[in-house]
Amino acid sequence: MSRVSINPGRVEWSGENPGIYLKHGQDGDYATLSLFFRVVLSPYGRGHAAIVLGAPGEAAGWPDATNFILTDNHRMMRWIVDGFVTKMPTFVGRAGLAAMTWLDLDSVERRPGDLKTRYSEVLRGSGVTLEMHWLDLGPPLPVEVTKENSATREHEMISVFLEARQAEIKVNGTLLPGAVQSRQIFGRTMSTAFLAFSETWITPPEKG
Amino acid sequence: MPLSQPITPGVVDWTGENPGILLKNAADGFAAIALFFRIAWSPAGQGQVLLLYGAPDRAVGPPDAPNVLMSDNYALADYLMRNFIGKLAAFRDAPAFGGLQHLSANQVRSSGDPMSHRYSETISGDGLAVELVWEELEPPRALELTPEQTGTREHVMFTVLVPAGQAQIIVNGRCLPGKVGKRVQAGMETSSAFLYFSETWVIPPRE
Repeated sequence: MSRVSINPGRVEWSGENPGIYLKHGQDGDYATLSLFFRVVLSPYGRGHAAIVLGAPGEAAGWPDATNFILTDNHRMMRWIVDGFVTKMPTFVGRAGLAAMTWLDLDSVERRPGDLKTRYSEVLRGSGVTLEMHWLDLGPPLPVEVTKENSATREHEMISVFLEARQAEIKVNGTLLPGAVQSRQIFGRTMSTAFLAFSETWITPPEKG
Repeated sequence: MPLSQPITPGVVDWTGENPGILLKNAADGFAAIALFFRIAWSPAGQGQVLLLYGAPDRAVGPPDAPNVLMSDNYALADYLMRNFIGKLAAFRDAPAFGGLQHLSANQVRSSGDPMSHRYSETISGDGLAVELVWEELEPPRALELTPEQTGTREHVMFTVLVPAGQAQIIVNGRCLPGKVGKRVQAGMETSSAFLYFSETWVIPPRE
């Protein structure tokens, strides 16, 4: 298939969107789901956020369950959660997503390291310190998926993925449960932890 | 348009943001040029780099002319000069390329909203404060360019383009001369002032 240089679709949002999905064993369910957002362009401005579902199946929010979103742009993230995250197969039907508590984010600190051994994002706000650590990183892979193959099934997605073979999430110093496992994505076996730079979501034009 | 193969073959050279302002003089030459890089991944790490040709036709740096490379990661600035900027004819062939002075960028700050009416980057350090301002912003467009369509002629490039109808380069409070003009990218007429977000340069595999 040949490229079309000027994509006819509508750019929805663009930025960084790494994630850490931890499981109860290779064949078990997800124990912890987390996504980080550094959005540089959207119809609702720019901003940062992290979604943490430490109890994905539990219909409870913070502090009863470790289900929360920390953000410095609530309106933008309401739009992204409703239009994108709720449609991703990993998050569909998770009671913790609907019940998560919305918290104000005060600061974000990126610790890129050497981009090979360790990469971290540290977020603080509303009495929560969240640490997301990606370890043992692979090389950057440029990915581009059609709407039929994208996580939302509605958008094209372009990104640069780096697989992390290990990862951990801490909330106020406590490690969240689960471990990185493998999964099939982009036609390869890759881990459930990843960095995603230069990510853009595009709504393709309706076929006339 | 996305390809049937989800992973684009090739090696990522760098990825990040790469906005620029090319101001033209009355003779349709360049009066001033600024190219800014906020790199999320490269073999030389993350960082921010400003290439400024305040006097493109002069092969000297400060204090005689504001021709500078400012960065918070010297290895990254060297990498970009060697592997990217030096391959773009418009930059490599300007006399200022040989007179660049490399300064530290102690503070870098972005403000505004690229989907509103104004966006800016401010880079300061070593006695120099450079503000890049983009206004009259158009809606974002996603581009995928083949090697024949890129400045280096070597890379496949993905980016999100936000053209700007007006722009200024302000050095220590003084606007550099020149006006935003037209240019053509991938057959599309666009502005010589632009924001580029989520930009990735990939070296395709040899045939």
